[in-house]
Amino acid sequence: MSEELRVSSIETRGVPGKRRYAMVIDTRRCIGCMACQVACKAEYDTPLGVNRTWVPYKVTGKYPNVKKHFLPRLCNHCDDPPCVRNCPVEATFKVDDGGFVLQRYERCIGCRSCMAACPYNARFMLPSHRTYTPITNVVDKCTFCFHRVTQNLVPACVQTCVGRARVFGDLNDPNSEVSYLVAHNPTQVLRPEQGTKPHVFYIGADRNHTEYGRDAYRRIEVMESEHAAWKKHFDL
Amino acid sequence: MGEYLVFHDVAWHATYAIYFFLIGIVAGLSFLSYASWHLSALRPLREKSAYVSLALLAVGGLLLIADLSQPMRFLNMLNPAYLNFSSPLAWGALNLVAYGIASVLYLLMLWKKDEKNGKMLALVTAFLALGLPIYTGFDLTVHQHRPVWNTPAIPLLFVALAFSTGSAVGALMSANNAEAQQVLRQFMLWSAGAVVVILIAIMGTTSYGGSAEELTFMLMTSGTMGLLFVGVGFLAGSLAPVVMLFAPTGKSISVILVSALLILLGSAAVRYVILMAPQQVQTLF
Repeated sequence: MSEELRVSSIETRGVPGKRRYAMVIDTRRCIGCMACQVACKAEYDTPLGVNRTWVPYKVTGKYPNVKKHFLPRLCNHCDDPPCVRNCPVEATFKVDDGGFVLQRYERCIGCRSCMAACPYNARFMLPSHRTYTPITNVVDKCTFCFHRVTQNLVPACVQTCVGRARVFGDLNDPNSEVSYLVAHNPTQVLRPEQGTKPHVFYIGADRNHTEYGRDAYRRIEVMESEHAAWKKHFDL
Repeated sequence: MGEYLVFHDVAWHATYAIYFFLIGIVAGLSFLSYASWHLSALRPLREKSAYVSLALLAVGGLLLIADLSQPMRFLNMLNPAYLNFSSPLAWGALNLVAYGIASVLYLLMLWKKDEKNGKMLALVTAFLALGLPIYTGFDLTVHQHRPVWNTPAIPLLFVALAFSTGSAVGALMSANNAEAQQVLRQFMLWSAGAVVVILIAIMGTTSYGGSAEELTFMLMTSGTMGLLFVGVGFLAGSLAPVVMLFAPTGKSISVILVSALLILLGSAAVRYVILMAPQQVQTLF
């Protein structure tokens, strides 16, 4: 990447001597088995109702010519992450070497400003009760499996993907597989107009998934979901 | 369509709308208390406004702390080693603390009947109070991807709402004072008029936006949200008071008091919908 394209000092893609990890998701290879979601849940004891990674799908076309499109989702580990800018106490931060966007659980006050700032809806609040893990009532998200990557392992979702739809590596290394895939395939990122420089690249993503559609609008759910969330939040 | 969607919860619930509503009144009452040093008609409101604004600040502050999922960690917001000044919440925390200290000192001067320092502190308090709706507006505007929130008009809207709701509470607190009512009628008329103009500007811009803006516009103008925003917030709570106060009968105390109630109701509805609708759209992505 040319130097001129970088506009923010926080960005590390293309900076010599620094790693910039990224994930390439080839949607043509995704079969929607949800094994990535299960592996992630197992890795982190992610509670019911929230997900670090998830695989939404949409069915397009008209019977009998229909097609099911999967779009695995996770934190995009943006090069210019709005969540980091918005956290009032620097509980969320970007690792300079590697580009991981991580969370300091012991510092998070739970104001949910980072959740409001994330264009990808990738952050969530951990519930007050968990089975095995004592980290509760703070905001959580995908970490690109920082603890695994620093031990020279790939993230759990990449490890488990049966179709090799998910590929992980250092985008600043021209010899890495992700560099090759990004260089040799037309790729999409989610909501590029937001200027966040996401580092999850999709091959063959469907517009029905990457953009808002009118069918997402369900009038009745709006107030109901807010009412339910309100009751849940205050344990009513 | 057989879609499987994951709905992560919205970030900010109605507690924030209540907080925004209260903090707007706090700021508006501080403006009134400062104005009382220059407008003799508002003199009876000077102490009352200062006391009520401090009380509401305490309620709003406690509400904000209670809404944190880690309430005791609110002290982190005041820790210089932690503060992130690129976040408007950090500036807001400092503004709130500074305003609280200035308010207490101001009340102390009023209690001691120290006019010289009291007038100076009234100015400081009003200046810091102006920061409250501005920072709460920035809390929303900095979220670059959210329709309606991410417009420069939001801090202006919140300042206008602070003026109108503060004046409305002032009018209710001085229901028997005809002279003060006439001054507050002017305040309410012009600030509610500004609210009407800003709301039209925001919705006009939103309706011509991209798909997320289009969805937000649909949410804000139809169903229950539409009833709250267009019906209660815009028509009953902003436009109707302007028309009522502007009409020849607008100087009667009963009309002023009814307008004040409508302004308060409308402001609460506008704040709720503006907070919730762009978040609801986000959960669909």
